Amino acid sequence: MTRRYPDVLQPEGTYPPTEDMLAEPVPQEVQEAQKKRLRAAWKTPQGWRYWSAVNNTEVGIWYTMTAFFFMLCAGILAVLMRTQLAVPENDFLDADRYNQFFTMHGSAMMFLFAVPMFEAISILLLPGMLGARDMPFPRLSAYGYWCFLIGGIFVFGSILFDSGPKAGWFMYPPLATKEEGIGPDVWLLGLSFIEVASIAAAVELIVGALKCRPPGMRVNIMPLYAWYVMVVGGMILFAFPPLIAGDFLFELERSFDWPFFDPVRGGDPMLWQHLFWIFGHPEVYIIFLPSIAIAAMIVPTVARTPIVGYSWIVLSAVGTGFLSFGLWVHHMFTTGLPQISLGFFSAASEAVVIPTGIQLFAFVATLMVGRVKMTLPMLWIAGALAIFVAGGLTGVMLAIVPFNWQAHDSYFVVAHLHYTLFGGMVFPVMAGVYYFFPFFRKKLLSETLGRWAFWLIFVGFNVTFLPMHLTGLKGMPRRIFTYPGSAGWDWLNMMSTVGAYITAAGFAVFVYDLLRPKAYQGQIKRNPWGGGTLEWAHDVPEEAWGNRSVPYITSRYPLWDQPKLVERMDAGRYYLPDAPEGKRETLITSVIDAKPLMVQRVTGPAWITMLAAFFTGGAFIFPTFHIYEPAIVCGAFAIVCVLYWLWTSTAQVPDQARKDVGLGLSLPTYASGPTSVGWWAVWITMLGDSTAFASLVFGFFFYWTARPDFITIGADHATGAAVALGVTLFVVSWAATVLAREVNKRSHITLARLALALAATCTVGGAGLIILSVLDLEPTTHVYPATMWALMVWLVAHALLGVIMQLYALAGSIFGKMTPQYDADLCNVTLFWHFMVLTALVTGFILGVAPRLLA
Amino acid sequence: MNQISTEEEQEEFHEEQDSLWRLALSPTLWALHFVICYGATTVFCADHILGADYLTTLRLGIGLLTIGVLAAIVWLGWGAWRQWDVVRDREWENDAGNNEDRHQFMGHAAFLLSLISAVGVIYVSLPVLLIASCA
Repeated sequence: MTRRYPDVLQPEGTYPPTEDMLAEPVPQEVQEAQKKRLRAAWKTPQGWRYWSAVNNTEVGIWYTMTAFFFMLCAGILAVLMRTQLAVPENDFLDADRYNQFFTMHGSAMMFLFAVPMFEAISILLLPGMLGARDMPFPRLSAYGYWCFLIGGIFVFGSILFDSGPKAGWFMYPPLATKEEGIGPDVWLLGLSFIEVASIAAAVELIVGALKCRPPGMRVNIMPLYAWYVMVVGGMILFAFPPLIAGDFLFELERSFDWPFFDPVRGGDPMLWQHLFWIFGHPEVYIIFLPSIAIAAMIVPTVARTPIVGYSWIVLSAVGTGFLSFGLWVHHMFTTGLPQISLGFFSAASEAVVIPTGIQLFAFVATLMVGRVKMTLPMLWIAGALAIFVAGGLTGVMLAIVPFNWQAHDSYFVVAHLHYTLFGGMVFPVMAGVYYFFPFFRKKLLSETLGRWAFWLIFVGFNVTFLPMHLTGLKGMPRRIFTYPGSAGWDWLNMMSTVGAYITAAGFAVFVYDLLRPKAYQGQIKRNPWGGGTLEWAHDVPEEAWGNRSVPYITSRYPLWDQPKLVERMDAGRYYLPDAPEGKRETLITSVIDAKPLMVQRVTGPAWITMLAAFFTGGAFIFPTFHIYEPAIVCGAFAIVCVLYWLWTSTAQVPDQARKDVGLGLSLPTYASGPTSVGWWAVWITMLGDSTAFASLVFGFFFYWTARPDFITIGADHATGAAVALGVTLFVVSWAATVLAREVNKRSHITLARLALALAATCTVGGAGLIILSVLDLEPTTHVYPATMWALMVWLVAHALLGVIMQLYALAGSIFGKMTPQYDADLCNVTLFWHFMVLTALVTGFILGVAPRLLA
Repeated sequence: MNQISTEEEQEEFHEEQDSLWRLALSPTLWALHFVICYGATTVFCADHILGADYLTTLRLGIGLLTIGVLAAIVWLGWGAWRQWDVVRDREWENDAGNNEDRHQFMGHAAFLLSLISAVGVIYVSLPVLLIASCA
């Protein structure tokens, strides 16, 4: 879109670099001076200021360690539950505590360990694999981390006060809507808060994989890990928002008695099940794919040969990503849906086995082609494949409807899901820790302790969960705190408990190995496994700059195929070898062919992200206790913090319009529109936001199909005239925003400011009219008015954001942060408004038109 | 860019941003087919909306939709097959960092995705063939 304007700067000079240019040596004194400046620009803050760091290496370590800590806590809950179940009629835990424990075990393993662990590992590893200095939005990563930490402590901490949720990790109403105490509110608000962090990470990782690859790293040669990250990031955008929408409705019912899931007033608990599992099933693959991506990095290294079937693995990642969205009802086979509908989901559940199987075969083929060295990481991968295949096969059984009816809610399901998650997530991640430990700690873990940990966990796991298949088939239901001795389940349970303790012992060995001092090792080899991908060009001992220079890549395994690559990277022969202004920078390249496009300033250490996370936390945590004023104050402060952070460090007018990045290439230092990373971030965020909105719209049509009395009862509708006028104002506001962008580009600054002021006024008017249109409806009486109110709240909340953005752009124009040439902020605001006007039109249709048509 | 003149850049295939989306077209068709099957079944099997049994209409409609979607996937798959161009150059891996390999890789991946999407569409339409009741 920027190409229409001649004054937009383009890259200039030579690209790609010639062999002669690359062969030319860099003088030693130049190298030293460059290193000194780079080191200063990327210096990690010292002392207590260390916690203001935002660099991916620091945030990534905190993130992984925090997620791992929550995993250990959730594991302790599991051991306690197994202790309770060791013998029949045990009274080690009472029913209430047991309920809290299994709910927290599942919730924490999913929301505080598995998904955050993916984000953490990717933040830690991806820049290294891509030869990037950092992720494009370091402060966003840091903000996401602090949100995760605060939310995680809040959610997990509830169990220490005996007030944890106890309705199971999928929180089915009416059990969870009617539950006494704050347990469900902790779950809903605490985890919604953490989902903010997940979406932030998804934005970061997608933009990272698309735009921050090194020059020359085209899509056909990028590391498979990056492909998986892109697919999983996309899945998060479509999977998490339905849950956020569901949480929104659920909490409205818990706090304000709007009857979304109460059948007496027209609601339907099935809507929650749909929204939860539209999230919940893809989530399994969101956990599985990035973990198996670790296998895709390890297998070629241990086989010492390129991966066999790169395209096939891409197929399987993308294919699984899509198909996994057609499986959610297989968690709901016993809810009485029409059999044809069940058939669709059963069929899709069987179909997803094909791509999942293909990638496993590709790994096996690679191992067969190469000369395998059974290193410790490979041992864990082998264990993963064995366990995952077993879990996959019981999955095929459970996808068959009649078998599912028999096994539903029994220990067979517990065995199945643990086989898939241990094989598909825990083992590959453990393999990844052993494999990548030298990359992120510059030390090695112990071979002996690693083998002990492996065999203890592998044997312990199978002793725990293999018998559970039989326990389930013998009829033992899950989630019950005890069982009678006469049922014949006692020896199976005893066996599982013994296995759980063996597994726990294995993890204890692992934790010891992880935390024990390793100073005696001295300096390790730079590439201890002989890997071929770019992360093994890392600096030993550690340097905070990521890569000394950003290389030009022409192969899938550059360290194997580009002989002088590392030497030249170290010499600063490639791009961005220097930081003359003392600022942190990374290269932005094109999506498909990774042609260099611009130099991106990346943000450095800051406290504002922590502060923003703290206030965001307040906005989510106070409502748990039904206190709303402090929550609103916190929300306002959070917005102020984010505005300060954006204003002071993003899309700054550059001091020089372009700069020399080395190898005869000169790149612009500023971009607006689709060339800029900010534009992509807005686009991706709004895609997720639209999915949440679509879930609310789905709710409206779901009630229409599920309940004959949805629209007829309480026949009052939203006021038609107010809806029409309100939506019109939103359209005018959108048009004025687009106009502002266009006239601003043509240097009609006053006109642009007037247009933005008009737009902001229209937004406020439109929001007021939409509120007015539903005021006569009483949301607590019936689900129909409640749905109208929920849509109104959604639209008005977005209008609030929309008006803040319009005023931000206006202020930018007035105070010189935004000019006709440097207009990224206005482009991003316009992009938001494209989505906003769509939201307004759809909301208007559902408030004003649809009920009158469908009644 | 101004002075681009190496061998690998000479053969210019005009596909920047768009080609990533093209990869997702066949799976998107699968997703649309899936959503329509599920949505239409829900509406047609809820007696309070249509007031009568239109199951035959539903099954016929889904059958026609399936044929249409399969035809579209076959067409996309054929395009991708030609883009992969494996018959001419017998190259399976397409692992070089140049335009030609990137172009053919995108074709290969899109072709495989069309295959899996077609299988998915066929699987998902089977229940309509086999089950003749809303129960």
